[in-house]
Amino acid sequence: MSQRTERRGIHVDQSDLLCKKGCGYYGNAAWQGLCSKCWREEYQRVRQKQIQDDWALAEKLQREEEAAAYASSHSAHSQSTAAQHASVGHFSKFEEKKTNEKTRKVTTVKKFFSPSSRTTSKKEIQEVKAPSPSISRHASFDTDQVSKEFVDFLKNLHKPGRETYKQCRAFLLNMSSKKVCCPPETITVSISYQNKETFLFRQDLGADELSECVQDFYQNLADRLISHFKGSSESVEQVMDQVEKYIMTRLYKSVFCPETTDDEKKDLATQDRIRALHWVTIQMLCVSMEEDIPEVSENVVKAITDIIEMDSKRVPRDKLACITRCSKHIFSAIRITKNEPASADDFLPALIYIVLKANPPRLQSNIQYITRFCNPSRLMTGEDGYYFTNLCCAVAFIEKLNAQSLNLSPEEFERFMSGQTSPQFSSSDSDWPCSESGLGTTVTNPVLVQLNHNLELLTGLCTRQEAVMEAAQSLQADLLTWSDSVQQEVHNILEKYPLEIISKVSAIDANTDNDNLPSPIKPQVFAD
Amino acid sequence: MATAGASGGSKTFSFKVVLLGEGCVGKTSLVLRYCENKFNDKHITTLQASFLTKKLNITGKRVNLAIWDTAGQERFHALGPIYYRDSNGAVLVYDITDEDSFQKVKNWVKELRKMLGNDICLCIVGNKTDLDKDRHVSVEEAESYAESVGARHYHTSAKLNKGIEELFLDLCKRMMETAQAEERAKGNGASQSASSRRGVQIVDDEPQATPARGCCSG
Ligand SMILES: Nc1nc2c(ncn2[C@@H]2O[C@H](COP(=O)(O)OP(=O)(O)OP(=O)(O)O)[C@@H](O)[C@H]2O)c(=O)[nH]1
Ligand SMILES: [Mg+2]
Repeated sequence: MSQRTERRGIHVDQSDLLCKKGCGYYGNAAWQGLCSKCWREEYQRVRQKQIQDDWALAEKLQREEEAAAYASSHSAHSQSTAAQHASVGHFSKFEEKKTNEKTRKVTTVKKFFSPSSRTTSKKEIQEVKAPSPSISRHASFDTDQVSKEFVDFLKNLHKPGRETYKQCRAFLLNMSSKKVCCPPETITVSISYQNKETFLFRQDLGADELSECVQDFYQNLADRLISHFKGSSESVEQVMDQVEKYIMTRLYKSVFCPETTDDEKKDLATQDRIRALHWVTIQMLCVSMEEDIPEVSENVVKAITDIIEMDSKRVPRDKLACITRCSKHIFSAIRITKNEPASADDFLPALIYIVLKANPPRLQSNIQYITRFCNPSRLMTGEDGYYFTNLCCAVAFIEKLNAQSLNLSPEEFERFMSGQTSPQFSSSDSDWPCSESGLGTTVTNPVLVQLNHNLELLTGLCTRQEAVMEAAQSLQADLLTWSDSVQQEVHNILEKYPLEIISKVSAIDANTDNDNLPSPIKPQVFAD
Repeated sequence: MATAGASGGSKTFSFKVVLLGEGCVGKTSLVLRYCENKFNDKHITTLQASFLTKKLNITGKRVNLAIWDTAGQERFHALGPIYYRDSNGAVLVYDITDEDSFQKVKNWVKELRKMLGNDICLCIVGNKTDLDKDRHVSVEEAESYAESVGARHYHTSAKLNKGIEELFLDLCKRMMETAQAEERAKGNGASQSASSRRGVQIVDDEPQATPARGCCSG
């Protein structure tokens, strides 16, 4: 029991989550602990620099390509190309290939730039180039890593791969050019008008427009890939997953919880709402999970961890994967409890319970971000989509939750909400609404039973400790009187029998010749 | 977006089907019978019965069917729209021995038609036909009601595995027709479907079609 409570304590200290600038909004590790607003202000310059760095990389790659053009006749190079041809786009083989080919990467990167694409991107750079792209590149390690993986993945696809890379680069340049081109004043204006008519401004900064741009891009690219892959939707999905990862890792900072929306406000509202509902018990929600079973509570803890983890991911699909893992743990918990496959009637209440327990950071922002920027084929029909939809349902339920939805009377609900009473402390004979729902045990709350038990133990301990203290005190008193009495006795005896040294001289005298003994031992006559 | 993965001729169709109906009418039993061929089996190895998929091949066309179970309790009723958003079909189940459950189906039909119009294929399913002696919903009434709202009616028994294959096969065929009709409707621009949307982000090999001239640069 106590062990479980300990492990359940994964709640992060709220102050750790807040913006480092102390504005009261939530901060984010990806924004170096600042909230989106402060981050934007603080790092506007840094971001522009990063965009410039992107240009720098693009140029560098082109130079490499040009340099490698001379080497194109080398047989070593054509061999490596042939080796790649042998393994056309098998994703499973991709992982092992990746390590094998790490050394060759530099020579292969250039292949993504066909002559035509080179002229294209050069032109773009001239068109939208902000100052001089000569600043050395120091984009974040993560972003670099993702880019490398993306290139490695596309390498195996040859022409479609090159094409895809080209499209993605162009799209990213296009997206960032929009931001670079907008003077900050315009941004501010469009924000203050956000609720009215954002479309008056030519810049597409609204969240919906951003979403539409990305979704259009996905759709168009997918359409192209379908013809490349002759309709093999699995290959298309694979590529699209990688594309999403690449694109969204780059765009995350500027499009997660954008300030043109009230996502952040909603996050706070939801957070507060969940906190206000801390008193909701598993029985009120009729959840078929028996948390006393260790395996069940283990799965519950894992589910809570997974849903909290969602906020730390950047790619929509990775966020979805967290929700899916959370759901699977819930299913396991239900399966162990009920010993039958979980239906939606089991699952949704359990998910609501997990969300209430976890109070996941920036829940609304994450949901919005996934909705806006996830590859639609995942969200619409896939399994991940089902769990995501249930999460949306859970949040909607929590927002609208009232006395009825918990089978409580309105008065009870009010009292719980205002904190006047809490189900934990109300008498154990209160009617748990779902006592018959297979939860076995008894009508009383097991937590309450445990609490009472502990209280009893404590009272017992208390009285025993008092007894011990009393005994100790009397022992101390005893010791004092004992030493006194011993002293007294000794004194008495000394009084009674004063020191008398009985002279042995006479005895010695009687039969020894004293003069023969050495001087120290020679008896001396004291008395008489 | 009723037919996300359903564009084009030889491509795979992906359909989302929601299961709606009162508690205990047999939604879970139906779908477990269909996807796993199991009924009230304590040894079902499935972890969950809330999201199940089935791959079909109908007249040479591949179909991926995703069946979404929904929470049927009254207190979750308001969440319905979140569940059935973007779905291609709905299976509305009632228990033939339970008059109320049929009434509930009628409410669902009204709501679905209001929210999704005719884009969604509706199936009304009278389950538990093995309990015909306790029937409280007449066959005629149910069938004529279904016809009046543009839905199909089916009789099933999850227990005896009757009528379930037919139900889903028929539903798939109808959803394919709807998807193809939709394709044709917007397909007058044929391959232009992409550029008919705002903000095309695709670069063509010709340099003049550079992406910097995309949706919002002008
Ligand atoms: N006789 C008979 N019983 C059935 C049939 N289908 C389902 N049942 C029984 O009806 C009960 C409810 O079935 P479920 O599949 O759990 O019903 P449900 O609609 O999923 O219920 P909720 O999950 O509560 O919404 C179970 O005891 C099934 O055994 C059938 O065709 N014939
Ligand atoms: Mg069910």
